[in-house]
Amino acid sequence: MPDSIPAPLIIDTLKDVFREARAALAAEGWPAPPHPWLGWILSVPDTHQKTVLAALDKEEAIRVLTCATEDEANAVAAGLWAGGEPCVLMIQHAGLYASVNTLRGVAMDGRVPVFAMIGLLSRERDKDPRESRHSMVRYCEPLLDTFGVPHARLEGPDDVHRIGEYYRLAQQRRGPAAVLVGLETS
Amino acid sequence: MPIKPEDALRAIAAVRGDAICVPTMTTAPAWRTIAPDDLSATCVGFMGGASSLGLGLALARPERRVLVFDGDGSLLMQLGALATNAGARARNFVHFLFKNGVYHTSGAQAVPGLDVDFGLMAKGAGYRRTYAIHELEELKRRLPALLTEEGPLFVELSTGLADKTPMQDRSGRPFHEQIGTLRGRLKGTPRGG
Repeated sequence: MPDSIPAPLIIDTLKDVFREARAALAAEGWPAPPHPWLGWILSVPDTHQKTVLAALDKEEAIRVLTCATEDEANAVAAGLWAGGEPCVLMIQHAGLYASVNTLRGVAMDGRVPVFAMIGLLSRERDKDPRESRHSMVRYCEPLLDTFGVPHARLEGPDDVHRIGEYYRLAQQRRGPAAVLVGLETS
Repeated sequence: MPIKPEDALRAIAAVRGDAICVPTMTTAPAWRTIAPDDLSATCVGFMGGASSLGLGLALARPERRVLVFDGDGSLLMQLGALATNAGARARNFVHFLFKNGVYHTSGAQAVPGLDVDFGLMAKGAGYRRTYAIHELEELKRRLPALLTEEGPLFVELSTGLADKTPMQDRSGRPFHEQIGTLRGRLKGTPRGG
């Protein structure tokens, strides 16, 4: 059975991911940034991940930019990437559906490594997401499969390592990758 | 008399210094002729995304000016970006809007609305300052300040139609090459804040 993931665990994981990303940028030859934060969260607020967003409000090591749409978040991510800044998108499945053209244009055709944490709002605890009675849950993985976007489920605290794994995968393949947050974070 | 887009771009190119530039749609063909360098990335393939792409660059590289050459049809596709751009408070962000009133690339159909006041929208969204410029000489006069004044700034230019649309001149490099080249160029330059 899936389990809720505590917000502090996700935030600590994101910090580790950003530290590793900074080290990789330095190894590539990027000059050190002039600011103290580790990386950026580009958020179109997701009910499913609201405890993480609330905790990020108090977090000085990670900058949060709230975007009006997921299209914007994808394009901002491209600019940050070109400028040498690591970032993670935090969005909802409905936002994935809303932004598929930008996902295609920026992350796929544009070969920009866009990594997203996608909340599966309304996912039933006792059902596989592909069998959900809610179309917005049910179509998420098939849509990602159609676009060839690698993805993994975060079904509980033991899965948080997937965040770093899929972030790195996005960088390596220079394209999109995603993890799906199965239950509402705690 | 509306400003010729190519004249506006030439005026900007003459004073931009090391600013990063983000053209889109009908500013793209002229810009790659006027400023064929590797400090630009065209928003192509995700219409409406130019200012968001520019915002990401501005946040990542606060030591440089970032100039976005948006279109009115494009901006209308992602109008919420005005709020996001303003809220990010990037001091180095300048959002030019080439307002010609039509979707030039697809055949010059009129954009929706009744002569939308984009400057008023940008001001309401919280851009630090907005300008409406109707003549080339005024643009030239204001450009030095626009390249130094604290942003985010919004500059609506009343323009005519460009000589070429992206459909008439397909010579541009694909986005992935442009953004990759720009990233390589920025990697080798000092960062500041």
